[in-house]
Amino acid sequence: MSQEPDVVTRRDFLRTSVLGAALSWTVPVFIERTFSALDAEAAESSLPAATGKDHPILVVLQLAGGNDGLNAVVPYVDDAYYRARPTIGIAKDKVINLNGHIGFNPALAPFKTLYDEGHLALLQGVGYPNPNRSHFRSTEIWQTASDTNKIVRTGWLGRYFDNCCSGEGATVGVALGSQLPQAFTSDNPTGITLSPGSRLGFAKETDASEQAVFNQLNGIDHDTVSGASIGELSGPNSSGMTAIEYLQRTALDAQIGTDKIAEILRRVKPEAIYPKTQLANSLSLISRLITGGLPTRVYYASQGGYDTHNAQENSHNRLLGELANAVSAFCQDLKSKGIVDQVMIITFSEFGRRVAENASKGTDHGTAAPMFISGGAIKPGIYGRPPSLEQLDAGDLIYNVDFRSVYGTILNRWLKAPAPKVLGRDFSPLAFV
Amino acid sequence: MLTPLPSSKWDYDSAGHLLVRAGFGGSIAEVQDLTDRGMQQSLEKLLNSAPATSTPPTWAYANSLKDLFDQIRSSTTPEEEVKARQAFNQANRAQMVNLIQWWTQQMTDTNAPLLEKMTLFWHGHFATSATKAKPAYKMWLQNQTLRAHALGNFGTLTKAVSRDPAMLVWLDLASSQKERPNENFARELMELFTLGEGNYTENDVKEAAKAFTGYRINPIDQQFRFAANQFDPSIKVFMKKAGPWNGDQIIDIILEQPQCARFVVTKIWRSFVYEDPDPSLVDELAARFRQTHYEIKPLLRTIFSSEEFYSDRAKGAIIKSPVQYLVQARRSLGIYAPEGRALANIYRQLGQVPFYPPNVKGWDGGKSWINTGTLTYRYQIARALISGIRPEQAGLPKFPPKTAASTSPEPVERNAVAAAMPSNLDVGTPEPAATPFPPLTPPWPVEKYVNTEDRSDVERLLEKLYTQIFQSRPQPDLLKNFIEVASNKTLPLDDGSIRDLVMLMMTTPNYQVS
Repeated sequence: MSQEPDVVTRRDFLRTSVLGAALSWTVPVFIERTFSALDAEAAESSLPAATGKDHPILVVLQLAGGNDGLNAVVPYVDDAYYRARPTIGIAKDKVINLNGHIGFNPALAPFKTLYDEGHLALLQGVGYPNPNRSHFRSTEIWQTASDTNKIVRTGWLGRYFDNCCSGEGATVGVALGSQLPQAFTSDNPTGITLSPGSRLGFAKETDASEQAVFNQLNGIDHDTVSGASIGELSGPNSSGMTAIEYLQRTALDAQIGTDKIAEILRRVKPEAIYPKTQLANSLSLISRLITGGLPTRVYYASQGGYDTHNAQENSHNRLLGELANAVSAFCQDLKSKGIVDQVMIITFSEFGRRVAENASKGTDHGTAAPMFISGGAIKPGIYGRPPSLEQLDAGDLIYNVDFRSVYGTILNRWLKAPAPKVLGRDFSPLAFV
Repeated sequence: MLTPLPSSKWDYDSAGHLLVRAGFGGSIAEVQDLTDRGMQQSLEKLLNSAPATSTPPTWAYANSLKDLFDQIRSSTTPEEEVKARQAFNQANRAQMVNLIQWWTQQMTDTNAPLLEKMTLFWHGHFATSATKAKPAYKMWLQNQTLRAHALGNFGTLTKAVSRDPAMLVWLDLASSQKERPNENFARELMELFTLGEGNYTENDVKEAAKAFTGYRINPIDQQFRFAANQFDPSIKVFMKKAGPWNGDQIIDIILEQPQCARFVVTKIWRSFVYEDPDPSLVDELAARFRQTHYEIKPLLRTIFSSEEFYSDRAKGAIIKSPVQYLVQARRSLGIYAPEGRALANIYRQLGQVPFYPPNVKGWDGGKSWINTGTLTYRYQIARALISGIRPEQAGLPKFPPKTAASTSPEPVERNAVAAAMPSNLDVGTPEPAATPFPPLTPPWPVEKYVNTEDRSDVERLLEKLYTQIFQSRPQPDLLKNFIEVASNKTLPLDDGSIRDLVMLMMTTPNYQVS
């Protein structure tokens, strides 16, 4: 595969140093600017080339709505399971056995194949202390890796970008979907969003002076920046940047990121093995971007619909099937390209669901749930203990693996980043990497 | 302390600011009219205009999809059921596309813009999605309910929403059983509609769920029905008060909490003024809101007449929502948005489809409207709105389907893939040889807004265009950029050059904010 030499372009450098610095501008604006410009010029030639082919990549899949863990990984030898779920429990003879105690929902059959091939690890009972049962608050806790009683603005991946990826440009994180996930929120906004149906890039203006004004007002070329407009870049307020600053920053990221992505998508065509689902499409696109050498460390995609309060059987099985088939196709694709060892895919959901079914043949918001980790270089197996169905906290499972242990393990051992710096403290590592 | 704006500070820019925030902007003549009326009168006009009666969509009656629904129920094989379900969903989607257009039209044409703006606000607040609430008639009913109370009383509105059929389906209240009540509505009522997370206990959720039992929908007329035999009359302990509470009484207890007023006031301030109001300001407004028994009009009157609302901190601090973006373009510039599916697709790519909020929390708004994807699309659609939107820019096929003679499996495949997410990101796909569909909208009619003299007087032309586009008198720093570009062009300026200038102004960060 031919690789574009990954020099840091002038725009990249403007973005990361000049605008990055803009966020922390206090008084000596010009001095700061000049200094960081010189600094970045010096660094330009020595920056390691991140090409997407030689560093570990993390793919995060959010299962939005609260995945019913007990009907995904079924404790089918435990009578308490069938007592709590007389109508929606997965029948014993349908469960795909894993270790004599638990087994997969039949819709997760492709995961069993991955598991047998040594490409899947299952983490049981993942959660956190004092669980919150609100979708939004619990999602926020997972995205920011905060304690339950603390509100943190930045996301865990955003802090990873801030601490460990400076100088790598906006494409270090790529999210598929219409919104940048909160996990990407960082002090120096980073990340490209590829929205449904979006086309890439800005149109070119018809004449040069229009282009120049467009660039200037959108913060894309700061050569012509005047003292007046720097004056507008006031110090950070409580929400970080003003609306205009935020828009300029996004315009610049869009221009840089989409140039690269468009080039790759012209060059790398999709493989035919993916099912026709949105999640599979997302993973297919991610595969193309990886293959094409986009210097991205974290990809983010999501699948919604897991909030199964009502008549959940069909919908939940369909979602699990889509998930397992998409991930399986992705791994197969990466394997055939010889890069499966370089990619780790993790799933998470804001919470699992209540042990007992409700009267509408569904389940209400709960707590701990399993995570699935797949990829070529992971250590396969089952980690954590299956949570007890009898010792419950207000009808809900009690977690035994803190999700931040999972994040810490991924940061330390996979992304080779100092986890305590990102997570604020040490969490005991797990052995899946 | 909120002080009213002194009348000496009322000018064209304040009038423009008010009309944009408390409505969807307007022409130079409309802004000038408010300028002349003064603040008090302008505000009363916005608060009290009664909307002209508008014709409901033709399909908006209770049983318009009954036949298709009955076919699902009477199907005898799974295959038949799948087919019947698809037919129902297809018809329902067509109605929803029509409803999206109907409401957009309403916002565009209304002479009571604040009423529509608040209806949109409450839709985002009591966010209900048509993905689950079916048929479309339910969403239509909810839209009527929100409009009926949009400027009324928050308590009455909340109670009406708790009985709203679309909401009953959306948060599973219609299927909640006395024996094991479904907690979905009870939780979101407190977390998202009235108090905010952390201001109630898990036990409050469970107790409130018991009170919201017996809420059903009459399948014949699609209206709320109370099923007394499904109601749990037991004693509930809610927010430390014990009693055999029903749903309305739960809402009354919630309204007694000072936090409820704070929560609602904060959200309104963030949506209409700026993101981070000081706690003292919130407390002051919340106290007044409770004193006036949660009446919405007096609250808005206080906000929109306050000096803070017209402060530099507030001006330009809000990123336009996609709905605001399109409706304001129409009301201020006479720019046409396309209709039907094209309109829905444009909303989708901009990140806000009315009636389809991403979840029960509604749209996050603010900076989350903008990411690299949505900003890119905003700029593309701004250009397209001015030059005439081509079908592919609105997510529709670019070419008519090939005739049977030249059929290959390829076009079908491309359509299927184009419907999904990533493949639209494809670039450089070879184009089939056919005549493309014509544009969906006409180009912006320059001659309607620009006269012959303006074409030779660059400064005058740009001051005019600027005032119209940005809904305020020009800021010299920004204006000079556009004058500079225009001075390089041949005079008198032709339609193409003028459209280019309008596009340039619309593809700036400044145009994305209000």
